[in-house]
Amino acid sequence: MSQNEQVRYYKPFVGPFDPCPPILVKSYSTPPQLFIPFQPPNWPQFSPHEALRYGTLWPALFSSYESKRTKKAEGEGEA
Amino acid sequence: MSKTMDSEFYKLLHELQAIDFVLVELNLYLDTHPNDTNAIQQYNHCAQVRQQIAYNYESRYGPLKNFGQSYSGTPFQWVDTPWPWQV
Repeated sequence: MSQNEQVRYYKPFVGPFDPCPPILVKSYSTPPQLFIPFQPPNWPQFSPHEALRYGTLWPALFSSYESKRTKKAEGEGEA
Repeated sequence: MSKTMDSEFYKLLHELQAIDFVLVELNLYLDTHPNDTNAIQQYNHCAQVRQQIAYNYESRYGPLKNFGQSYSGTPFQWVDTPWPWQV
């Protein structure tokens, strides 16, 4: 599982009175469209079948969404 | 044993699904880029390809859509399985 460069992490505040075990590291996804104000014309494209698989016609806009369920080793929950 | 469809059926549907997705993407793109002639050309080409695939499918397996948007053989094929969710 390569480090997905579109995922960013932050450490939420942990108070002393939390009733449940705190989640120390949380993550959020930053897909490419956040950084592209207006899509330029004539971008390279996927083939139809690839586009169906990737979920977008343009590789530059592809954003993978790995399940967070399996990825515990990344320190997702711990410090 | 219930009716089973051949692999050509699934291949055609997969082709149709892929080309439809490309058309949706191009349509959304053209909403914001109405003057992009290359995209319009590609859109029209894909629409033509989609029509061909749909024609191939319908000539072999029956109508894709009802209410007059597709032709039907006799007996009326619209009621035949598999329905989209049964494919």
